[in-house]
Amino acid sequence: MGRYVIRRLLQVIPVLLGATFLIFSVVFALPGDPIASMAGDKRMPPHIVAELTERYHLDDPFLVQYWHYLSGLLQGDFGETFAGGGVSEIIAGKFQVSLNLALTALVMETVVGVGLGFYAALRRGRAQDTLVLAATLLLISVPTLVTGFVLQLLLGVELKRSTGIDFFPISGAFDGWRSYLLPGFVLAGTSIAYLTRLTRTTLAETLRADYVRTAVAKGLPRRRIVGRHALRNALIPVVTYLGADLGTLMGSAVITETIFNLPGLGQELFRSIYERQQPVVVGIVTLLVLVYVLANLVVDLLYAVLDPRIRYE
Amino acid sequence: MSSAAPPKGAPPKTRRARHAKASGRGARTARPAGLWRDAWHDLRRRPLFTVSAVLIAVVLVMAAVPSLFTSVDPYDAAGCVLGDARQGPSAAHWFGTDNQGCDTYARTVYGARNSVLVGLGTTVLTALAGGLLGLVAGFRGGWLDAVLSRVTEVFFAIPSVLGALLILSIFRTGTVWTVTLALAVLAWPMTFRIMRASVITARGQDYVVAARGLGASAGRLMFRHILPNAIAPLIVVSTINLGVFIAAEAGLSFLGLGVQSPDITWGLMIADARARFHEAAGPLLFPAALLSVTVLAFIMLGDAVRDALDPKLR
Amino acid sequence: MRVTKGAKIIAGTVLLALGLAACGSGTSADGVAGADQPVRMKIGEPQKLFYPADSTEAEGAEVMGAIFAPLVKYDENKQVIDFVADSISSTDNKVWTIKIEPGFTWHNGEKLIAQNYVDAWNYAANQENAQGGNYFFARILGYDDLNPGEGKTPVTTEMKGLRVIDNETFRVTLSQPFSQFRTMLGYTVFYPLPKAAFGDDGKITEAYARQPIGQGYFKMDKPYNKGTDQTIELTRYEYFPEVKPKFKKLRFMIYTSAETAWNDLQGGTLDILEQLPPSAISTAKELGDRYIDQADAGVGYVGFPLMANKAYENPQIRQAISMAIDRKTITQTVFSGTRAPADDFINPLLDGYRPGACTACAYDPAQAKRLYDEAGGPKQLELASNMDGGHKEWIEAVANNLRSNLGIEVTVRPFEKLQQILDELDTKKYGGMYRMGWSIDYPSAENYLTPMFATGSIKTGSNFSGYSNTQFDELVAKGDTATSQEESLKYYQKADDLLLRDLPMIPIFFYRLNAAFSEHVRGVKINLINQVEWTTVERAA
Repeated sequence: MGRYVIRRLLQVIPVLLGATFLIFSVVFALPGDPIASMAGDKRMPPHIVAELTERYHLDDPFLVQYWHYLSGLLQGDFGETFAGGGVSEIIAGKFQVSLNLALTALVMETVVGVGLGFYAALRRGRAQDTLVLAATLLLISVPTLVTGFVLQLLLGVELKRSTGIDFFPISGAFDGWRSYLLPGFVLAGTSIAYLTRLTRTTLAETLRADYVRTAVAKGLPRRRIVGRHALRNALIPVVTYLGADLGTLMGSAVITETIFNLPGLGQELFRSIYERQQPVVVGIVTLLVLVYVLANLVVDLLYAVLDPRIRYE
Repeated sequence: MSSAAPPKGAPPKTRRARHAKASGRGARTARPAGLWRDAWHDLRRRPLFTVSAVLIAVVLVMAAVPSLFTSVDPYDAAGCVLGDARQGPSAAHWFGTDNQGCDTYARTVYGARNSVLVGLGTTVLTALAGGLLGLVAGFRGGWLDAVLSRVTEVFFAIPSVLGALLILSIFRTGTVWTVTLALAVLAWPMTFRIMRASVITARGQDYVVAARGLGASAGRLMFRHILPNAIAPLIVVSTINLGVFIAAEAGLSFLGLGVQSPDITWGLMIADARARFHEAAGPLLFPAALLSVTVLAFIMLGDAVRDALDPKLR
Repeated sequence: MRVTKGAKIIAGTVLLALGLAACGSGTSADGVAGADQPVRMKIGEPQKLFYPADSTEAEGAEVMGAIFAPLVKYDENKQVIDFVADSISSTDNKVWTIKIEPGFTWHNGEKLIAQNYVDAWNYAANQENAQGGNYFFARILGYDDLNPGEGKTPVTTEMKGLRVIDNETFRVTLSQPFSQFRTMLGYTVFYPLPKAAFGDDGKITEAYARQPIGQGYFKMDKPYNKGTDQTIELTRYEYFPEVKPKFKKLRFMIYTSAETAWNDLQGGTLDILEQLPPSAISTAKELGDRYIDQADAGVGYVGFPLMANKAYENPQIRQAISMAIDRKTITQTVFSGTRAPADDFINPLLDGYRPGACTACAYDPAQAKRLYDEAGGPKQLELASNMDGGHKEWIEAVANNLRSNLGIEVTVRPFEKLQQILDELDTKKYGGMYRMGWSIDYPSAENYLTPMFATGSIKTGSNFSGYSNTQFDELVAKGDTATSQEESLKYYQKADDLLLRDLPMIPIFFYRLNAAFSEHVRGVKINLINQVEWTTVERAA
């Protein structure tokens, strides 16, 4: 088990190198000068641009720049933005916000998605099942953008104005965990739908597996069969999905973060690409790759808990 | 976009499914390609399939011959009168007019082509690239599999919005083809994983071992024996993804990265209409409705196909 | 945004279904009005930390405008009045004597002295410090010594043109006479810096840029962590010698989406929103006197590639294109009245504007077509625009105008940023028309002329079309040397006439400012350079 974890962690290195190299080269290839762009619609004097270009090694060849970056990274230094200021500092705060948001979404996915899927699977083919399926289809086909705006307006603005109930903050991350409820739900939307369907299918399938039939034949109570035997096995693909989703939720929440004004990684990434802030872009991606790989490792280890037949060596 | 992925790493079920069915149906399954014939037979009787197929057919016709649906050519600037912008529905403009005073109905109809092209193109590209690589990786295993798997991990770990942004920024302008390519580059790891997983299962089956024993070449083993038996999950996922890609194009357009005007896509129409939604809802609602219906139709079709290919759950 | 009763019922039901109604009684502290509650204003994230001469963008300038007090400010009658300055005088527009009013102190208690200005300006003008506002100092004698050019190191750190006379007085010598110098001094880059700003190496320290010590209305409560902090908190500086703001706490809240900020304003968690999103305008009009709609000094243009493409050489072609654009309908339909049709190169907000000066700006499709055909204009035109910042719609409307009125083909070329269009114009990869916008740095008619159309601005300024006319340059120079503002204006208008004849760019619209504020505050006024006038703002109890 310990060796397995170490081997898996070692495998992170090539993935990390690959990802930073890929992103670094793509950002490098982007047209547009990050320094000149800072002036907006106006023009900076050429000698000032030259001064800044030199300061940030922007005129070095690609591999030299990459090496600069990588050697800094190995010492835990994420570099500096072209507007001055450390990248690590920018990322640290945003990472926290993104993590909170993603975890809220993940909890909602698990509770609502797995719950609904469980409910539907036990009522397969009945009206409740069809209703749940229809609801998931609806959830998938309504864009995040729409759910975000509508929920913010209804539960954030209007509820407060009409009833005085001030439970859901309209935007920002000032109110602790409450700040993350609405955006978390909006972000989790499609994933809830997928998880519901996934849980429903796998659970229904395991309920027909031989070992469950054996358990039924043995006369075990239904509650015990479903809860202890079927559900545990059915959770394997669900956990896999959740593990892969964490990274996505953290890095791709631009729209949700924008609507709810949460200063997270998604927005920062979006803006940094626009501003050609290579160190920020690569820094965030490196972090997200780490999150992704570690989440997957945890998921793999969870398999053994869920299915005792799985062993690591 | 990538949240559209089916359970990553979920074991494929089709092979087992086929065995289960073979024992139940007797003589009819003895014919070659029985799975597909069975599935088709089964599909035709499903209302889910009929409804989605009809919807998809309408959208496809719309994409192929938009002039069947409207006599207005929205690509002709003379048809847009700025002074008539943001009008409600009328006899002249069934869905009203947009911010530039163009006819929303005609634009929605003509938008189908590019949206469907992006969906189809991306699906075909990902199915081909991901499918082939997955087939080879799953069949050969070893270092090739290890390298390809690590590569897909890199892609999975990079947020899709970022990826699309980067790729499209390099191309500078979004056209149907660049958007298709960008989406495909990001989505192939998904099909790769599905194909690889089902190939690994199929590889160990008795008949493959037998064929190998009889001296079949690697190519023959892969394409003649393994592929037909491992492709079902890929088909199911691709069908669903077609709709998802169409929606993804709309998402890119919202971020200003999708197909650019004067080309018309539903996503572009939605993005353009969004800022003025309160004054004129039509230019947003109509393409959005058609988009949602199309996406739904493909997801329902995918569901129907999966159920047909996997009769165990009936 | 109007929400129907039905929607409210749905909202209520959803809430009940979630079983949260019971927990909803706690009102967050920020929602309640109170004497010490902060006034909350929306800003975007500042591009950089707070180095006055490096922040040439509006967000940083807004924050620093609250922390620093400028030498001059602009009153309601568009006049320049001395603020920190006691007097700014010159007999020849070349040598300027600036006296500061006694009584101003830095937030750390030190006295404001003339040396603080000289230090700050020398720092800003030095190329080694690579400040974004560097070029504002180019008119001061000795600027060239601090800016020897790429790859060279300046031999000195001081400009010859700056001299301290005594603690309250310093003298600025310009390399050329410039009558608008006093007007310029209200801009962010001309703020002074205290001794505490500089480290041992003579550079501004990062610690200072995080929590600048100013001499203005407010002092910053704590260092700003860019990227992490969502708010910037300020407290009134009680030793400010002039009229102080009527409230104690000011909070800047950082947003990325104006729509979200608008929702917050409606919900009462934000007080001042300086630029409303277009979708909010129709609802905001119902706010009555809490809605501000006033002229703004910005101008939107379509530029011609005079250097990159010979096809646009004939001014008659440019005139025809200008006449084919229906500015009135564009401003009314595309912008819903948040822009006004342009009819001069000088914005109506400033002295020097003449209504209807631009005759080619009047919409006349028939005449346009005749002129265009007569001049043999090209059958195909390209129009480039950066697609961020909401430019897409009006550019498309302009393209449609040209298509239908001139009977030609117009291709809209989307770019990510204006900088990319400029790069491609420079390298001649792109040779078509392009979108351009200008917002003033200081409120003077001159600011619409020199930076965009003077020959000297082709390389270092924003003369992207490459217009070069010695007659124009001379007229502007005469305006710069004139001894009275009236006389200056006369020359600037003559220079403006040349632009109206030659049309190196065509003005399309004048911006307007659309702001709103919440019921928690009153008396919000926004000045010529788009900064809130903090002394008139009050908290409504």
